[in-house]
Amino acid sequence: MRASGLVKAYGAGGARRRVLDGASLAVGPGELVAVVGPSGSGKSTLLHVIAGLDRVDAGTIEVAGAAVHRLGERALTRLRRDRIGLVFQAFHLVPELTGVENVVLPARANGGGAAGASRARALIERLGLAEAASRRPAELSGGEQQRLAIARALVNEPSLVLADEPTGNLDDAAGAAVLQLLRSVADGGRAVVLVTHDPRAGAVADRTLTLAEGRLQATRG
Amino acid sequence: MTRAFTLAVARIRSRPARTALAAVGIAAAGAMAGAALTVSVALTTGFDRAADRADLPDVIARFNDRAPSVVDRRVRALPNLAARSLRLEITGVHLSGRGRRTGKGSLEVLVAGRRRGYAVVEGRDVSDRRGDEVVVERGLADQFGLHVGDKLHIGQITTRVVGIAVGPDNVAFPLARTARVYVPGGPLVRRFGPAPVNVAELWLRDPDKLDEVLTQARAVAYGLRDLRFITRGGVRATIDQAAGLIVALLVAFALVTLGAAALMLAASAQAEVQRRLRTIGVQRALGFSRGQVTLQHAVEGALVATPAACAGVALGALAASGPAGDLLATLNELPPGAALLPWLAGAALAIVVVVAGASAWPAWRAASRPPTEVMRGGDLGRPRRARKRVPAGRGYFALGARLASARRGRLAATVAALGAAVAVVLLMLSLAALLDRLKEDPALLGRRYQLTVAGSIADRHLIAQVPGVAAVGERYFVDGADAFALGQPVRLIAYPGDHTRFESPPLASGRRVAAPNEAEVGLGLAQALGLEVGTTLAVELQDGEARFRVVGIDRALDNEGRIAYVQPPRVVGADPGLLPSIAVRVAPGTDPNTVAARLTALGMPPQRAGGATTSNAAFLGVLADVLRVLAGLTAVVCLYALLQGLALTARERRGTVAVLRATGAGRRQVAALFTGAAVAAVVPALLVGVAVHQWLLAPAVAGMAAGYADLPVNAGAGELAIVALGLAALGLGAAAWMTRRAGREPVVVGLREE
Repeated sequence: MRASGLVKAYGAGGARRRVLDGASLAVGPGELVAVVGPSGSGKSTLLHVIAGLDRVDAGTIEVAGAAVHRLGERALTRLRRDRIGLVFQAFHLVPELTGVENVVLPARANGGGAAGASRARALIERLGLAEAASRRPAELSGGEQQRLAIARALVNEPSLVLADEPTGNLDDAAGAAVLQLLRSVADGGRAVVLVTHDPRAGAVADRTLTLAEGRLQATRG
Repeated sequence: MTRAFTLAVARIRSRPARTALAAVGIAAAGAMAGAALTVSVALTTGFDRAADRADLPDVIARFNDRAPSVVDRRVRALPNLAARSLRLEITGVHLSGRGRRTGKGSLEVLVAGRRRGYAVVEGRDVSDRRGDEVVVERGLADQFGLHVGDKLHIGQITTRVVGIAVGPDNVAFPLARTARVYVPGGPLVRRFGPAPVNVAELWLRDPDKLDEVLTQARAVAYGLRDLRFITRGGVRATIDQAAGLIVALLVAFALVTLGAAALMLAASAQAEVQRRLRTIGVQRALGFSRGQVTLQHAVEGALVATPAACAGVALGALAASGPAGDLLATLNELPPGAALLPWLAGAALAIVVVVAGASAWPAWRAASRPPTEVMRGGDLGRPRRARKRVPAGRGYFALGARLASARRGRLAATVAALGAAVAVVLLMLSLAALLDRLKEDPALLGRRYQLTVAGSIADRHLIAQVPGVAAVGERYFVDGADAFALGQPVRLIAYPGDHTRFESPPLASGRRVAAPNEAEVGLGLAQALGLEVGTTLAVELQDGEARFRVVGIDRALDNEGRIAYVQPPRVVGADPGLLPSIAVRVAPGTDPNTVAARLTALGMPPQRAGGATTSNAAFLGVLADVLRVLAGLTAVVCLYALLQGLALTARERRGTVAVLRATGAGRRQVAALFTGAAVAAVVPALLVGVAVHQWLLAPAVAGMAAGYADLPVNAGAGELAIVALGLAALGLGAAAWMTRRAGREPVVVGLREE
């Protein structure tokens, strides 16, 4: 993933504010990059524009060879489905579905229902979520929910995983387990971008970048 | 109150699209109510309105031609008489005008009296000083395209139309057999000398003493031959023979439709409050009282509902006024005009009250819960314990169905509103189909013969030998009046022997006729005259009275059940000039047209035995139009209810949809999701609607009609297919609409919501 000169502004007139102002970032396969910064600094916006959930005002983004900033909605949908996995702070599991049904859902979107289901089961086994698989989110702990959400992000075998404050709603032990899991995802050959406040993220990240005044600065090489 | 008003206005202005959608739904329900009210009020009050406007006489007496002075002397001798008018009625007159002609004209010569018994609806009445002026009845004017000032030729005489009138003592031409033209008698008398009269119109001081006047009139009527009376009540009964049953059914529709509209409005208003749960929680947290929150929602509901309800009711009234007006014109009745306004205003007010109440009640309930709980959103009802997972299909379609089913209360309200609408539409379509069959299918009335021949009895054996003829029989048919209540018309049908070989309406009670002194009466007649098995039916005929003992009661539809099956001897005894026709029953599998051709070749051209209302095909067509207008409006309401339910689900699950889109769900998957949600409502609604129709509405309507007949109002495969396909199309349309809306929203907006 390569992003360069990203600009994104919100508001109008005097209230207009550049959340991203020339931010640039490149993440390679097997690399885990942590992005830190104060609340409101634009960390989530950075992930959203990389995932094509929001549009940049200027700059270029390339994910798995595709120019995200130039893609239409359909192509963006395909890109998210096949090449990008998203993990959210609030897990965002569908409450009516069981753990395994939540995990397999993105696989159904690309028509790979049977293969997706077997990948989902394998992931669930690998992540130690066998018990959680048949239960609904309301019956699971936060850590279990977030690990299911990570399994959902991985089910279509994306090349890029974007995690937005994945430990924000978890206790220390669960948070640590999730960070370790993301590390193992990167070790599996995927690029991982982790936006977080969690000071422990530095321990698992290959690089830590700070987003300040709309730009990314290296904290540790 | 002022603060509530200000807040309500501010909220409405902040969500114009949402408000517009709610207003459209209210307007749709208002249109249903407006249309239903317009039809029912117009039809139920049409006769009285026209009769009052036309100053319809209490009694109309018809007799053979006599000198006016003789008739006037007898009439003046009657007690309780307020006014009288005498006319000469000449039928079979040739009329032509504006390129159209008919030989069915009826010249009504106004010989004496100032009161008319008809209402001039356009132009003016005839003047007694001008001999070339005529007033024509509206049915004739419509058929010929006549306007005031046009020329009308009566035989060789050219006259000028100065007015168009409605005479509610009969249905309009061509539904009636004659086209009436009113001409002043004075100029004719001056030109040709004294004219006889054959109609006397009587207005009574006390109409309640009608029977005494009729008894006295019979006593003083010596010398007047072929004397027949018809009373205002009798006219009404006659008109009702053409429309009463259908009018009653339309009124029933109106009530059902109004109920469905009220249910939908309540569901819709509750959905609006559901959307605002968080706001209610914030308001309560900021110190708003329950009363303030409730009042604010009530005011907001009323503000949105008032213009929408007024517009919807007006639109519905406009849409239905055309077909209802056509129907009234066919019946020679007048539209309600401004008299409808209080009803429509009442309907609009009721809608506003329902919306305000339905907005206030859930707001009150929500405001009763802890603010933090309300701010978290969820359903209006108390939180329930998690249910065990219901096994369901996989994929986005099944997920949509699950999302919709997760809110059981709302799904139930949507299903109830849709189901009620489906039941109403099914009933309307079934009745429209029934009307078509009534036009075509004599068997529906219990008639088993297909042809009649106006030959002599001697021809009977000849006809019986024609290939394809299964049975022939003499059929006597005569209209009389009940001898105890002279204003009540009675139709007698007589067959020698077993009449069920030719006409077999279902027997409701008792047994079939087996002797000349016995009668089977229709339920309509039994109810009108208070007849039961074992009582006596006395019928006043041409030359005397015929009495019968009632042995059975039929569910006969013909003549609205005001009918009696007897054997010929007593009928012929009381009316010796009566001649039978020959009823011909065609063998099963034989085309009646083939037999008709064979009979024609023998010099005995037959007539087809149509339904009860063969001559009223246009009338039935108008009725079917009215039903279809109501069905169309109800379908619009279905669409709205679906959109409302889906929009609410989409609004509530905005975050879930955004997450699905963020994780790769494209337009197709979102469409599948909303289709699943629509199907979750549509399928049970269809089942509920069909069940309500088949087991509740249809039996109720059939029961209501049971006074007249057995009506097969259950929906057929065709109607069910139309409704199922229509509902499926509406569901797909609603899902497509919601998919489009969801696709327009940036994913990040939904994610923030989640």
